[in-house]
Amino acid sequence: MKPILTAKNLTKSYAKGILALNEVSFTLDQGKVLVVMGPSGSGKSTLIRTINGLETFDKGELNVLGIKISADSDERKIQKVRRRVGMVFQQFNLFPHLSILENITLAPIQVQKRNKKEAEEYGMNLLCQMGIESHAKKYPGQLSGGEQQRVAIARSLALKPELLLFDEPTSALDPERINEVLDAMRRLADQGMTMIVVTHEIKFAKEVSDQVLFIDSGKILEISSPEVFFSNASHERSRKFLNQIN
Amino acid sequence: MNNINPNLNTNSFIKIKKFLLSKSKYNFCNFIFFVISISLIFNFLTWIFINSNWKVVTSNLNLYAFGSFPPDQQWRPILWFFSLLSITFITVYGPKWNWIRKNLIFGWIGTVPLGIYLLNGGLGLNPVMTRHWGGLTLTILITSCSILFSLPIGILLALCKRSSIFLIQKLSSFYIDVMRAVPLIAVLFFGQLLIPLFLPVGLEIDRVWRAIIAFTFFVSAYIAEDIRGGLQSIPNNQIEAAKSLGLNKYQINIFILIPQALRVALPAITNQLIGLFQNTSLMSILGLMELLGVSRSILANPEFIGQYIEVYIWLASVYWLFCTIMAFVSKKLEQKLTINKGY
Repeated sequence: MKPILTAKNLTKSYAKGILALNEVSFTLDQGKVLVVMGPSGSGKSTLIRTINGLETFDKGELNVLGIKISADSDERKIQKVRRRVGMVFQQFNLFPHLSILENITLAPIQVQKRNKKEAEEYGMNLLCQMGIESHAKKYPGQLSGGEQQRVAIARSLALKPELLLFDEPTSALDPERINEVLDAMRRLADQGMTMIVVTHEIKFAKEVSDQVLFIDSGKILEISSPEVFFSNASHERSRKFLNQIN
Repeated sequence: MNNINPNLNTNSFIKIKKFLLSKSKYNFCNFIFFVISISLIFNFLTWIFINSNWKVVTSNLNLYAFGSFPPDQQWRPILWFFSLLSITFITVYGPKWNWIRKNLIFGWIGTVPLGIYLLNGGLGLNPVMTRHWGGLTLTILITSCSILFSLPIGILLALCKRSSIFLIQKLSSFYIDVMRAVPLIAVLFFGQLLIPLFLPVGLEIDRVWRAIIAFTFFVSAYIAEDIRGGLQSIPNNQIEAAKSLGLNKYQINIFILIPQALRVALPAITNQLIGLFQNTSLMSILGLMELLGVSRSILANPEFIGQYIEVYIWLASVYWLFCTIMAFVSKKLEQKLTINKGY
């Protein structure tokens, strides 16, 4: 297995010397699903957002899909990463002035310079996979939260990414809408997509993940398989966290 | 802070309230109001239909509409009015087909060069000098040209003001601040009197164009601020989503930020444009024969001397009609463009 992502000693501090990331190092192999867990404010969102350059870091090195990124990498290099790494947000962040299909085809047409027809065909294909092809002509505001999030997943898939980042994809959803999104993610994992998922969904983490990363105060406290993490976590802090959210 | 205390002055308060709410008082007030308004309306109507002489309007309709445009060529401005009217109609009542929605903007942009071509002539049409342009035609031409030029400049200024490059940001802020601190009439004087002095010898810009340039300079600063407000209303997560899709700065501006900002800023921009339409009347002071200028020259005609009231009532209703149409179109556009926010 070749590693798709290597982080080495990533460190980031906000003002007043508070460390958001503290010497974070880990690797992720192709086709694996990494679930990131941790209490709020622990730095899990910051961690996942540094991977596609939405957050900068101060020290350390990141190797994403063979592209080396350091603290002083310029926007162009980060854009190269973004074109190959998809991201799904907590608040969906769809573009409200564009139709569902336009949301999905915007990046393929503008960034990858694919022709419109081909991009639309592929977009419809993705919408079918997500089970929302009937909404293609609608606008984001006309869809439910769960549907919007599935559109967001389709949008990130439209660039044929090699790595998908999920930043709490189900936290803004109504409880009865969570499963439709988790199911879509599960199918992606089954198809062999490499994913990093920040989530509090323990059931999903247990069933789908290959590795669980627990982070607190910007420091990785443990990385272990889900079997070990959920039954026999090695670190005191992770056991306490699991007790609280269970 | 005694006067906030509700317990103080309670007695007098109740007395006043009683007096105001008593039925006889009400009826009395109503009666007075009724009598005054009836007599006002009656006097106004008798003046309109009996005492006034509308010949000053009816016999000069041609002048109000076209100024001194050659009579045998007047089909040209008429054709232009007709094209404006039809595109307005399509915008408001047209079908919701996608290709119409997408190309409507080009139709609107196209009306301006079409108007200039039809008025100016050339390319198969007899040329007509700008000093023959006048009346409502000129008013609408100045308005639409200024709108067409000031919108893109306004967008550009707004983007520059948010730029991360220090010099660009400061320059655009400076421009906007200066333009907003100077009265419009001063900018117009500047355009008419000073631009010719600064231009190199031999190069001459026509009076009408100098007016349009001055209006564009002025209005674009205001539009820039409206659009900046729109840009600020877009949540940061839209930019993050666009970035995460690999779009670069320009693509984010063009496809994500500007379309959304324009929708937010539309009511404010309409305000500016209605103001612009009315402010074109200032050009009459500077000697252009637009709607007000033509009216002043008609009033100077010995035949119609002293008939100010008729002319100004007529002018007021024309301006009212066009401003109302603009407001109406903008309201319809707003309804069509409204997006259900799905952040």
